[in-house]
Amino acid sequence: MREMKIKKKLSENILDKFSIDFLRNQVLKNAYGNDDTVIARLDPRILLVWYLFIGLVPWFVNNLWFLIACFLLVLVTTKLARVAGLVLLLFAIGVFTQTGYLLIVSFFFGGNTSTIIPLLILTLKVATCSLASITVFSGLDPDRLSNGLMWYGCPERLSFSISYAYRVLPMLMEEFQNILLSFRMRGNPPAHETFWGKVKYLFYQTKIVMHAFYPLMLNTAKRSRTTVEALEIKGYRYAAVNKNVKKIKLSSMKITYNDLLFLAVSFLWISLSILASKIF
Amino acid sequence: MNIIEIENLTYSYPAAKSPILKNISLQIEKGDFLAVVGNNGCGKSTFCKALNGLIPHFITGDFEGKVTVGGLDTLKSDVGTLACKVGYVYQDFENQIVRPTVLDDASYACLNYAMPDYMERGKEALSLCGLEGREDDYIWQLSGGQTHLLALAGAVSLRPDILILDEPIAQLDPGHADKIYGVLRELNEKQGKTIIVIEHHTEYIADYCKHVMLMKDGKIAWKLPTNEALCRVEELQSCNIFPPQITTAAYRMKQNGCLKDQPLPTTIEEGSTAFQALRYSGFKPLKNISKSCAESAVQFRDVSLSYRSVKGDNRIVFDHLDLEIRKGEKIALIGSNGAGKSTLMKLMVGLLKPETGDIFLEGENIRNKKTENLSRKISLVYQNPEEMFIKDSIKADISYAMQVRRMENFQERTDRLLDRFHLTELKDRDGRLLSGGQMRRASLAIGIALNPGILLLDEPTANLDIATRKEIMRTLTDIKDITETVMIATHDMQLVCEWAERILVLYQGKVVADGTRDDIFGNSSIVETVGIRPPEIFSMGQVLDKKAFCYTVDEFLQSFEEA
Amino acid sequence: MELVKKHTSTQSQKLMVFVLTMALYGLATLFTELIPKFQVGVVEFSVEFFLFIPLTLAMLFDPLSAALGAATGELVFSEIMLGQFGGLGELEKFLTVTIGVYIAGRMVRNPKNRKMVGIAAITGTALQLLMGTIVDILKVQFAVEDFEAVAGLPESVFATEGFAFLNDLLFSGILFCLLPTLFLVPKLYGKIEPLLGMRPRDEKTWLGGINIKVIMGAIIAFAVAAGAELLASSGTSLIEWEAEWAESGTALVVGMVVAAVIAVITLVVLKCKAGKEKAQ
Repeated sequence: MREMKIKKKLSENILDKFSIDFLRNQVLKNAYGNDDTVIARLDPRILLVWYLFIGLVPWFVNNLWFLIACFLLVLVTTKLARVAGLVLLLFAIGVFTQTGYLLIVSFFFGGNTSTIIPLLILTLKVATCSLASITVFSGLDPDRLSNGLMWYGCPERLSFSISYAYRVLPMLMEEFQNILLSFRMRGNPPAHETFWGKVKYLFYQTKIVMHAFYPLMLNTAKRSRTTVEALEIKGYRYAAVNKNVKKIKLSSMKITYNDLLFLAVSFLWISLSILASKIF
Repeated sequence: MNIIEIENLTYSYPAAKSPILKNISLQIEKGDFLAVVGNNGCGKSTFCKALNGLIPHFITGDFEGKVTVGGLDTLKSDVGTLACKVGYVYQDFENQIVRPTVLDDASYACLNYAMPDYMERGKEALSLCGLEGREDDYIWQLSGGQTHLLALAGAVSLRPDILILDEPIAQLDPGHADKIYGVLRELNEKQGKTIIVIEHHTEYIADYCKHVMLMKDGKIAWKLPTNEALCRVEELQSCNIFPPQITTAAYRMKQNGCLKDQPLPTTIEEGSTAFQALRYSGFKPLKNISKSCAESAVQFRDVSLSYRSVKGDNRIVFDHLDLEIRKGEKIALIGSNGAGKSTLMKLMVGLLKPETGDIFLEGENIRNKKTENLSRKISLVYQNPEEMFIKDSIKADISYAMQVRRMENFQERTDRLLDRFHLTELKDRDGRLLSGGQMRRASLAIGIALNPGILLLDEPTANLDIATRKEIMRTLTDIKDITETVMIATHDMQLVCEWAERILVLYQGKVVADGTRDDIFGNSSIVETVGIRPPEIFSMGQVLDKKAFCYTVDEFLQSFEEA
Repeated sequence: MELVKKHTSTQSQKLMVFVLTMALYGLATLFTELIPKFQVGVVEFSVEFFLFIPLTLAMLFDPLSAALGAATGELVFSEIMLGQFGGLGELEKFLTVTIGVYIAGRMVRNPKNRKMVGIAAITGTALQLLMGTIVDILKVQFAVEDFEAVAGLPESVFATEGFAFLNDLLFSGILFCLLPTLFLVPKLYGKIEPLLGMRPRDEKTWLGGINIKVIMGAIIAFAVAAGAELLASSGTSLIEWEAEWAESGTALVVGMVVAAVIAVITLVVLKCKAGKEKAQ
């Protein structure tokens, strides 16, 4: 039942205060609002390698110095990538529900170092990996990201999907929002002043969101027909089998001094942390 | 030299009972600017898709006959080869843009066909389409008109000899529409491209096109030079195509025995010679507009609103807006794309809340009211009717609002509404699968289901052919007894002039003009700053005599007579 | 006279279904990603609130395209776009969703037959949940050495995981997967197909029921999924990194630091030079 209660509270927040408009803005901000940052200008291949290291290595290491250094590093890169507030909030909630709450509880209820340290280490690992993925996937331009993935041999379909997703998302959200507004204008939701009313209201809202997908599916179907016809004209399928196209596409990526500098600074920072762990 | 040759083309869609194109034979010359006109559903779009090979390579079905485009037999070439010959811009053009940024989308096709100079081609296409300087923008930062130009650039980048556009200006304000046609004319004259448009705005056809082709029931009735074609007034009207107002006016004058030796004019220039013998009669069309002293229906007091923007400062939509709408008024809200017309309407129904200031609905502040409680008083019909169909049949859609409010005899009321809007036979169909006009009618029926005193319509005539438009206008007069106060946001100046009693002009977040049609169209500084395009017949009257204010063909005929 | 007629779906129609499912399910999972995951003790409630979308589309159109579209949509919209990408572990979700949706789609011969649609929907959901549960149990089994030897551990793991599975299936599975699918499939059948320019599914266009090939494919995919997840979560015990580097001398670490410093300085100098040259 606890699950129900949390769910109710959260969904009320999400449906009332977090309007879809707000969500749309945050997601767009995250996707497009930070294309002029240091991180966004880095070469995607370099950034992916960096992610592979920072996202993977902390799992195998239990040294506190090292973990704190990694955490600070991704904290800085996340700041540099200018990630949208909502994504950071999600990150915070994610870390909290996984291990963070245990850490706080044991901190306040007389935990000693022997219980706090392992929890701290675990929390740092979780947080570092999440932030690393936020830096790379939110900080990079969608197109550069898909080019980078393609260079590493990801299927062409995936890199197309990423670019296309960023293209359709604003349209889809607007359409979904308008449909929900239709329901709001014409519908008659239960009064939700009392507790019981609130429960009923939650069920009503859930039902409406489900029902909204009926018109959304049909409208999107209409759209995707034109889209796929246009893709056909624009030679999408032709490109999928032509190796030359891939080569031309990938030739636009260039490794600059900035990329190498980014790697070198990260490397310096990490080796300093290892040195610190040796000395102290 | 013929760039397109069609011999005995017959085509039917999969699972269709009868063919949609019937035994078509046609030649189109290189360098032509051809307008394709015809009823809804006469096969115009199908015809165009047969030219770029989508039919039969992509859309299967029964295909007979031979289509040769630029020397290539479409049956024997693949879609890719044909795409380099024929560019296509869809009516729902925003769905043909598949990349997130402008230059990327413009050069996407070239990249896919492995052209090493794809970037240059994309840039070249953008500059041809007037989108220089927007290369790195995201698609959603473009206005509707610019998005259309981008769709065009995507097609132009492959340097095709032929460009096909399906209803290019249906959703655009006059400024953007002129821009598109300007670009097309340049491509036609300077680049020598052959251009085919599906178009029902005959004013634009008269100004820009060289030939007109009329399609009837999947057959080609004729293909004629524009002047000759537009003068076939009766035949066009029988196919629900309305010749330019100037042509219609001259045609009716001829029937009354005037203008004997003149050919029918199609543009204002031609009109000024053809009508030069006419004298202004001093007729003042009267529209009984009484300054309404009725009670207030909606009142805006010092309302400000801005949108969160993705980058940089928020965009201000309204800045300390004051506005009063009185009961019984027929208001038209005009202004370019993005001037805030839809936002104003959403504020009135409570879907958006103002940041500062208050909105009063029949004297009550709506700040703390819930949208669902306002809907008996005020109702909004969206620009895109598809977003209003939330149930699986239009009957269910019309009755939904009444049903959830447990209104008595809602079944009967639904049946009455269906009957009133001539939808009874279609009542079990899904709204989305209806024709354009039927969709509009259904959305109007949904809008007035709760008997709202105030009805707001967002672009009720966009995307409609003229006949359907007339039908919607009839419906609007028809529902006068149900809704007292009606406000329409529109680019359609003929609708504005024929229907509205009060016109509001929105420009940069402010109401810059508010008055009757004479106040607005007679004020040349407003017309110029905001970019309003009066109906062509009004401009014609003005050219002939500055004192003449005639907004319809009827008024023109009364205003001018042979001296 | 030439006739072009095809019965089964063409390549382009498959792409249409893929794009449609990806966009819709992607949007839906974007919303669910914003609702934090609930974890009560070890039991994780992993409801796919919107699984009804790909289930419905897989029953109406080509099941494989719908299944892959759904999994890609989730990956792109909710993992990559929001920066919540969790590395190799995401492969498990990708494959289990694909298998569940695909099998459900293959089961339905006549979308008008409500009974069949219902059975398929709940089977697909159950499969997806069951595979998740099995992976979870395996995870504990691998992580804890002498899993069998710890008194009561196997029982408690089976009990909690089993409870989570049943709870998900009976509560969320019915509410969010079974009922909406039952509501949508008959309503959309015959309406959505013409919008995409296809024939509604009938005896001729049906791919045929589940056969050995399908089952074998599903099992192999599941094995890959489980392997990926186990690799992702239990890597700690596989590689003893810490020991290795603890033994390496401080000298080596100092060397690393010096190398990093030199690299950084060289790059800065090179960059400044390049910048000056450009400016000239």
